[in-house]
Amino acid sequence: MNQKIFWRLSGPGALFLVIFLLVPLITILVFSFWRTESYTMIADWNLDNYIRLLTDKTYLTFLMRSLVMATVVSLVSLVFSWPIAFFIARYGGKYKIILLLLTSAPFLTGEVLRVTALQQILGPLGLINMTLNNFGIEPIEALMYSNTSSAIGLTYLWVPFMVLAIYLSLLNFDFDLLEVAKVNGAKSWSAFWEITWPLNKIGTAIGVVLVFVPTLASSITSKFLGGPNGALYGNILTNQFGSTGTWALGSAMGVVLFFVSILVLLVVWRLVGDLRRSGISIKGGARL
Amino acid sequence: MGIVLELKNVSKNYGKVIAADNINIEVDQTEFFSLLGPSGSGKTTMLRIIAGLEEPNEGSQVIINGKDVTHAPPYQRGIGMVFQDFLLFPHKTVAENILFPLKMQGASQKEKDENLKWITHLTQLEGLENRYPYQLSGGQKQRVALARGLVSKPSLLLLDEPLANLDLELRKKMEIEIRRFQIELGIPFIYVTHNQQEALTMSDSIAIMNYGKMEQVGEKFSLYHDPDSQFVASFLGSADSIEAEVASVQDGIATMTFHGKTIQARAHNGLKAGDQAICYIKSERIRMEVEENPDAPCGVVLDKIFKGQYIDYILDIEEGNEIIASSGTLSQIKAKDRISISWDPQVADAFPLPPKDPS
Ligand SMILES: Nc1ncnc2c1ncn2[C@@H]1O[C@H](COP(=O)(O)OP(=O)(O)O)[C@@H](O)[C@H]1O
Ligand SMILES: [Mg+2]
Repeated sequence: MNQKIFWRLSGPGALFLVIFLLVPLITILVFSFWRTESYTMIADWNLDNYIRLLTDKTYLTFLMRSLVMATVVSLVSLVFSWPIAFFIARYGGKYKIILLLLTSAPFLTGEVLRVTALQQILGPLGLINMTLNNFGIEPIEALMYSNTSSAIGLTYLWVPFMVLAIYLSLLNFDFDLLEVAKVNGAKSWSAFWEITWPLNKIGTAIGVVLVFVPTLASSITSKFLGGPNGALYGNILTNQFGSTGTWALGSAMGVVLFFVSILVLLVVWRLVGDLRRSGISIKGGARL
Repeated sequence: MGIVLELKNVSKNYGKVIAADNINIEVDQTEFFSLLGPSGSGKTTMLRIIAGLEEPNEGSQVIINGKDVTHAPPYQRGIGMVFQDFLLFPHKTVAENILFPLKMQGASQKEKDENLKWITHLTQLEGLENRYPYQLSGGQKQRVALARGLVSKPSLLLLDEPLANLDLELRKKMEIEIRRFQIELGIPFIYVTHNQQEALTMSDSIAIMNYGKMEQVGEKFSLYHDPDSQFVASFLGSADSIEAEVASVQDGIATMTFHGKTIQARAHNGLKAGDQAICYIKSERIRMEVEENPDAPCGVVLDKIFKGQYIDYILDIEEGNEIIASSGTLSQIKAKDRISISWDPQVADAFPLPPKDPS
């Protein structure tokens, strides 16, 4: 394409990204090497924030908790989303789009309302535990203001994204290949593992990243549903910019989060491997 | 030799559409069997039922090597299948594509190696084992699809218009190759096509399909020369048709009046005196003479089309009946010549004309 046209078309978008993504990122990076004192930033360059993050076990614990949370939420979303996406793509017929939109219906209400609605179901006075109470059964502790409760909330939040990613991948998948596999002796499960899965693993990987990364950084859901011991890395991070006013430490936490997320991307990248193994035809067969 | 495939009263509906209407077939161990018919006539449905991809209606029976497999899943049938658009697995190499059926059977590495060597040699794919499908030409893809269908030495190979996406030259070459594979392997091939040239070139037997019905089955020569039904008479070869009134029927030959001229053809379907008939004659069976014979249908040459191996004459017979007559390239007849035509009654076929819709 003509270079001039290229820049004219992609220029505005690129500029937008640079200003609103790169600038804050650099700012945070700079701040993370500064110091906060009585709610003011002091520009003496040091590594104290990072040393504290790496030595004070609290921060590592919260990071670990968020990593575990993100892993669990991603896996559960994966297990839920595949059958939904597969069903819609394969048998949705003319209702495909409607069914797909239905999966994102919860988004029509906004995040806070959605989480509040979950409280109504999971909380001590919620639907489940009140019902149990009526039958004289002890309430389920795990559901009330706990990490489990947060995990349920986060899964509920991100499943639509995972469904969308897998669905879009399946739209490009030739379902006739499954019949070929069957005629050639494959049973349903081998047909899935041999054909469907490899040809849709990039879409799935995108779905996993779409769920994993935001969950790693999430704070609102755990704030509403997690209870006293349910704080995640995101909550602690938010605190630094709020009540405690330790912006420099918060920035360092942000930088750590950023690099952990990049690391996750790289791991997923590696797992996808040779693109030709995903049915993508590039001359030479590069990696993703 | 033994019967490998038997279909008994096989029917299949999709709602109101009858895709297979009481089909009965027997296919022999060494037979190259074609299902020939226009698009939508139910050929693919037939193959899918044989392969186990489609459940036929109640009362249908699919028997392979004497075993009733009507309700058996595809993986229990020991069948190979080749599809129209190749349908290779894009994420697998040529070798992996070919070996897929053996992998599914849990074959040993030794068996896989041996069979791969044998089949890549047979299909001339040696050296391409590590390529991916996108790195292959159309002909090579088709060979891989064939190799995948044959590698597990199935008792039967089904082919659904496997050459439809190839260009003419390649198609001619592959027709001969596929036939060679079939002879070499000694298993029956069931070959679906809407291209009669293909069916005639490769087959031993042909079944003609139309609207889910099997119009006629038989050895290809007899099918071409002795059609049983109006559809087969009109469908096979390049057939001209003439409408005429039946004067008499004797010894299976109908004598008919066509614009005051007398013509003759074999009578079918209870054709009798007084009926309106439609009469089919293959283009290459029509003889032309330059002298106008007062007893024979006459007309004028509208056009002369040189086809290489023969010439097609477009004729206007008795004003308003367009007919094509094929002739050797040495014919001296020219456009605008007035001619009369004739044919041997034994090579023309007359059927009762269904009453015309008043609409
Ligand atoms: N899955 C299906 N659902 C509904 N109708 C079908 C289906 N498959 C085939 N048909 C119909 O059955 C008839 C035969 O189709 P098919 O076997 O594909 O014909 P062919 O292969 O000879 O072109 C057609 O009228 C087609 O529309
Ligand atoms: Mg077909």
